[in-house]
Amino acid sequence: MAIESDVLVIGGGLAGLSSAISAAREGADVRLVTYKQSTLRQASGLIDVLGYTPDGEGPLTDPYSAIPELPDEHPYRLLGEDTVREAMSMFDEVVDTYRGGHTDTNALLPTYGGTVKPTARYPDGAAAGLASDDRDLLLVGFEAMPDFDAPHVAAHLEAAGVPFDVRGETIQFPGDLQDDAKVTRYAKLLEKNGPVEVRGRERGARDALVERLNPLIEDEKRVGLPAVLGDADAAGVRAALEAELGVEVFEVPATPPSLPGVRLEDRLFEAFDEAGGNFESGNPVVSFDGQNRVETVYVDKQSARIPYSADQFVLATGGLVGKGVESDREHVYEPIFDCHVEHSEDRYDWFDEAVFGDHPFAGFGVDPDTELRPLDSGGSPEFENLRAAGSVLGGHDFAAEKSGSGVSIATGYHAGRLAAQEAQ
Amino acid sequence: MSDARDPTQFDPVVPNTGEEYEPLEVFPDDEDFDLRPGADSCYKCSTCDTNCPVAEVDDDFPGPKFQGPEQWRLKQTDDDYEIDPSISECSNCLRCDTSCPSGVNLAQMHNTARGEYVDNQMSKLSVKYIRNRILANYRTSAYFASMFPRTANFFMNFGPVRWAMEKVLHVPSEREFPEFATQTFRQWWSERGGAKVHSDDKKIAYFHGCYSNYNTPEVAKALVRIYEHFGYEVMVPPQKCSGTPMFANGMLDDARRHAETNVEELTAAIEEGADVVASCTSCSMALRNEYPELFDIDGIDDLAAHTYDAVEYLRIHTDVRQELEAAEVSGELEEEFAYHAPCHARNQGLERQAIELFRDLDGVAVEDVGESCSGISGTYGWKSEKYEKSMEIGSEMFEHMEESEGTTGMTECPTCASQMEHGTGYEVRHPLELIEAALID
Amino acid sequence: MASTPHVVVIGGGSTGIGIARDLAMRDLDVTLVEQGNLTHGTTGRMHGLLHSGGRYAVSDQASAKECIQENRVLRDIASHCVEMTGGMFVKRPEDSEEYFQKKLDGCRECDIPAEVISGEEARKREPHLAKDIDKAIAVPDGAIDPFRLVVANAASAEQHGARIETHSPVTDLLIEDGEVVGVEVEHKSGPGIRVHGTEGGTEEIRADYVVNASGAWAGQIGDMADVDIEVRPSKGVMTIMNIRQVDTVINRCRPKGDADIVVPHETTAILGTTDEEVEDPEDYPEEQWEVDLMIDTLKELVPMLDEARTIRSFWGVRPLYEPPDVGSEDPTDITRDFFLLDHEERDDLPGMTSIVGGKFTTYRLMAEKISDHVCEQFGIERECRTADEPLPGSEDFSVLRDYMEEFGLRSPVGRRSVERLGSRADEVLTTDDPNPVICECEGVTRAEVQDAIEQSGSDLNAVRIRTRASMGNCQGGMCVHRLASELHEANVDGETFDETVAREAWDELLQERWKGQRHALWGQQLSQAMLNYALHATTQNRDNDPADGEPIDFAAFDAGADASGEPGGADVAADGGERDGY
Repeated sequence: MAIESDVLVIGGGLAGLSSAISAAREGADVRLVTYKQSTLRQASGLIDVLGYTPDGEGPLTDPYSAIPELPDEHPYRLLGEDTVREAMSMFDEVVDTYRGGHTDTNALLPTYGGTVKPTARYPDGAAAGLASDDRDLLLVGFEAMPDFDAPHVAAHLEAAGVPFDVRGETIQFPGDLQDDAKVTRYAKLLEKNGPVEVRGRERGARDALVERLNPLIEDEKRVGLPAVLGDADAAGVRAALEAELGVEVFEVPATPPSLPGVRLEDRLFEAFDEAGGNFESGNPVVSFDGQNRVETVYVDKQSARIPYSADQFVLATGGLVGKGVESDREHVYEPIFDCHVEHSEDRYDWFDEAVFGDHPFAGFGVDPDTELRPLDSGGSPEFENLRAAGSVLGGHDFAAEKSGSGVSIATGYHAGRLAAQEAQ
Repeated sequence: MSDARDPTQFDPVVPNTGEEYEPLEVFPDDEDFDLRPGADSCYKCSTCDTNCPVAEVDDDFPGPKFQGPEQWRLKQTDDDYEIDPSISECSNCLRCDTSCPSGVNLAQMHNTARGEYVDNQMSKLSVKYIRNRILANYRTSAYFASMFPRTANFFMNFGPVRWAMEKVLHVPSEREFPEFATQTFRQWWSERGGAKVHSDDKKIAYFHGCYSNYNTPEVAKALVRIYEHFGYEVMVPPQKCSGTPMFANGMLDDARRHAETNVEELTAAIEEGADVVASCTSCSMALRNEYPELFDIDGIDDLAAHTYDAVEYLRIHTDVRQELEAAEVSGELEEEFAYHAPCHARNQGLERQAIELFRDLDGVAVEDVGESCSGISGTYGWKSEKYEKSMEIGSEMFEHMEESEGTTGMTECPTCASQMEHGTGYEVRHPLELIEAALID
Repeated sequence: MASTPHVVVIGGGSTGIGIARDLAMRDLDVTLVEQGNLTHGTTGRMHGLLHSGGRYAVSDQASAKECIQENRVLRDIASHCVEMTGGMFVKRPEDSEEYFQKKLDGCRECDIPAEVISGEEARKREPHLAKDIDKAIAVPDGAIDPFRLVVANAASAEQHGARIETHSPVTDLLIEDGEVVGVEVEHKSGPGIRVHGTEGGTEEIRADYVVNASGAWAGQIGDMADVDIEVRPSKGVMTIMNIRQVDTVINRCRPKGDADIVVPHETTAILGTTDEEVEDPEDYPEEQWEVDLMIDTLKELVPMLDEARTIRSFWGVRPLYEPPDVGSEDPTDITRDFFLLDHEERDDLPGMTSIVGGKFTTYRLMAEKISDHVCEQFGIERECRTADEPLPGSEDFSVLRDYMEEFGLRSPVGRRSVERLGSRADEVLTTDDPNPVICECEGVTRAEVQDAIEQSGSDLNAVRIRTRASMGNCQGGMCVHRLASELHEANVDGETFDETVAREAWDELLQERWKGQRHALWGQQLSQAMLNYALHATTQNRDNDPADGEPIDFAAFDAGADASGEPGGADVAADGGERDGY
């Protein structure tokens, strides 16, 4: 006997959750299974739709208007502009802690590397940092946190020509934390205003931080900090700091591990739960039964194989980073269903000589039809009831285009909706 | 262990009686426990660190990435490397292992590092070592206590005794020792005359673990009744501690001795056609994950492949979901429950099964109190130096429990249950008890 | 001639730096010029084997004897650069018994301690050896860090008054009246391009004597004076594994052949190698078959290599030389011995000697002989002291410390740092400021990075070779931007590095890390490479860094909901659902 549902989504990242939520909103009985945690925790938490064209043109002000010009095999082209817009609307409804939905125009945000990047949606907590806002900016980093060096970031932003003055300061986080304290430790201390020792006296960490920040602020009306301002209640931490400091406070989107990514993941699981979905994590889908249709997939738990049956399946296992696409010295393959992945036989054709060159590996993935069903080498759907979403799809270089999260949301939304409709 | 096959004889291992204790070579055959694949797979994304409940409350703890693949890689250059002492702050919750997108076997890496630390760097005469060994061998203490349960219940929580324990053994006096049942599950089972249902093709071997036997036999009894309801023949083979508290304290030799008996007895049952089920998620995890990762015992992989959580097994092999949808609960358990998924259930992908199963059950509501760790992690919270940390980790769960509608807790893990009770004063039940209430009159 | 002769040494590899140290210790005035970083050439591109001499015990016993002698010296004077791993020559069933015997006899003839051990014993020492290994000869091979060794030699030379100029290629030899009287170099440094201590521009460095120790580039220097130096550069690949599969040097016991050695090196293991003659030491193909050959052949010795993760491959060019009359067809037949070409004797060009051929393990001995030769030119008789005086960092030190107590470091991080820094550990690691780990793979802290910046200026590649930062499994994915930040505003001798300098060094290190990683792009390392690419391109937008490109029209982008005049903030996004009907 198998564990059953109408739609089974494999993968718990942005694409998997988008498709699961979209299918559940269509009224289907949806189950999501995911192996471990997704790459969302490694990402900045920004939702990029399209920042640059495949030819490197950009930063684009309007991501949507560029869609019709994209190559035929690009996932956005298969979906069409309207579907992408609908998907973003679903995201806006589901994730109420994000902004950017008020306009089609991309925003520019400072990165922890000191550049600015185009993005379509950004967390509340990053909003005051917009680089297209011309108010002066103060960045403050912590000594023991080498990922965000505020003076360096500030100098780099200046070199990038931002339309405001920007300064960077480095301070010691109150409480003499260990140098290898984790971001979650900072977040927890700030969220709970937890006790730290400052000059022999016990203080609330947040209060003590405010005291250190206050003298640094000159005329700036906004202050940026590393993305450690709380975990579950980031808004509360920010509000408390803003009230005390009298300026707007923002987080600079983060390097891995990324609390903004964690928060987004939590919010999406919550939304899926609210929509009545079932999910479980920790064990991989390793094999399946079926010829033209996928009948059952098997989840491996220490060599016990647990069967899961469904009417429709969505493959949202990620790309090379998420291990939805794997490789050895000769092959690139999709490990669960062995869906066709186009690639050169010579692995020295998989990359470009330059570190930021035009890397074929960045486009490795399955190529789908307009219903997002992966196609075999002959161009026919591999299975009639299997759809793919997110980074497992080929045909685009999300890193260069800054389109990763947009493609995941749009294809996830579409795949989930079609799967649910077909199942009913 | 020649008498281990005698089902009436329950044979606890008493620490340091008759056996000379010396650090044995934990892994005589390096090939079988190679940690290289773990170090090879790590790509430094630090997802594990964001899941660590200890690093969140204590910056002295450098997190699982350091404790696992990083430390392992760095110390390859010389045999004399010491394990960083911070490994003993790890609570063995395994949330890092559950989270790693690259499939790094962090649990195995931490268990081996901890074993190495305890063997090579921890004084065998230290109070902490002795205390840890007593805590890890809970089954032994429980065995003696269960001979005189009422006396033990009084005595273990008796003020002056607890004061002495705190002072001498660093066992925090805030903790209440679990109550011992007046009749153990095994006593009940043998009084009952064993299985009531017999079947050739539907058999399960029940690994009840120490807690359901000595402290909460009602969970074990519920399991028996439910499985018999679904037509299964229940076997209750002889068994020892699963080893979880021993792994967590780096006492792998103790764990191995217990494992040997368990593997032998349970594989015998598997040969008779049974699958193994456990009602405690730490026990099932030990049998299916940690055993094959840490020990090389004949039949150990076979046991891992045939072991299930008791509720999980019902979901796969019976109509429990449909029966529950049609059922209704009234009486004592007609309640709203605040459900906490134990970390070790999470590691097996079972963190949502209670929510899912009871979603459509009339008469009850079960609310997930979120993904925070309870903080007790078996014996961890039973150490004075860890007590505060344990409560701080648990504080988020306590808050969420208090915010939820229910005033009764629910979880699969007995030590989580004790932490839940300790932090909120709620009574805590096991999902099997609720299934029993719904399906069996 | 001034009272103290001034000698210019060309080439900052092990040989050149060894000569510079030796001459400086004999109180000569020395300037060393190097076109790139120290170890830019062959020295930085070797497998890090400290030979016992076993490899040459059959084919070239003179070299074998020198090796074991120098092996003992280096253990002594460079203890913080050496790890005495021990080595084995292992015999597979198909390998010749006769050769095994020859190898054993050869070792004994050369005074190389050699012990025959059974296959079982070999696997006990190295559990990942193939199960069908017959037997092995155990020898005192070791591992040595060539970067650290050269840097320590340079530090010692400088302490004895030598001037070391890196990033200063020789553009011409100064020849007057048929005699070499110095070199013209171009300092690729100074504000504007990069900062390496000395201002940019061309400099004529006059000398009483020039030593050409430029290895594979020796011929190019010779060309400047119209003398013919027939170096026969031969390339070899080395493939780096993410972690050590073996802790002992494993050699295949057979006459010759490619892919016959695995060297445990620091946190990694290095597989080697091939031997292919190339035209140009700067420009030769780095080929896929070579990498595949390493894995496919060496897995016969260590089967798990087949599935293990490689993090990069690199190629080195041996500066082989043979006298014109020998004429070997196959580069593997060319001797590994070194030759001293006195151009006065050979080409009637006084003032310069070239040194060609040779091998890393005997670099000090070679340097001693050249230095003797140079001193001879000036009629100076001074004793060589390089075999007795420990290199900086290798004076008495203990790696066994209480790292948390002393340096606030976790024990494996502290231990690794002290292994690298040797006796300099206290000086470098003692700090009251926060000292976070910058490179997690290799356990490199801020203090160590800052120390390296003080030594090598704005070149992050030079920081890398000093510290190993960015040389671990993520290949700089997580730390290159941190290193750039460490460089930004670092103060070296009163000069601080600005954002532009940091950005250029950052770009250069990114590209350098990419170069070798391309040869490891499958399986786990391809996954890592994609993650790195995503972090650098998506999260940091470093591929479209606006600081490098066209100015951006910031005003054309979203300035926030408030700025656009719409009702504020989160609410707008929250009810975006009005747009269509779900």
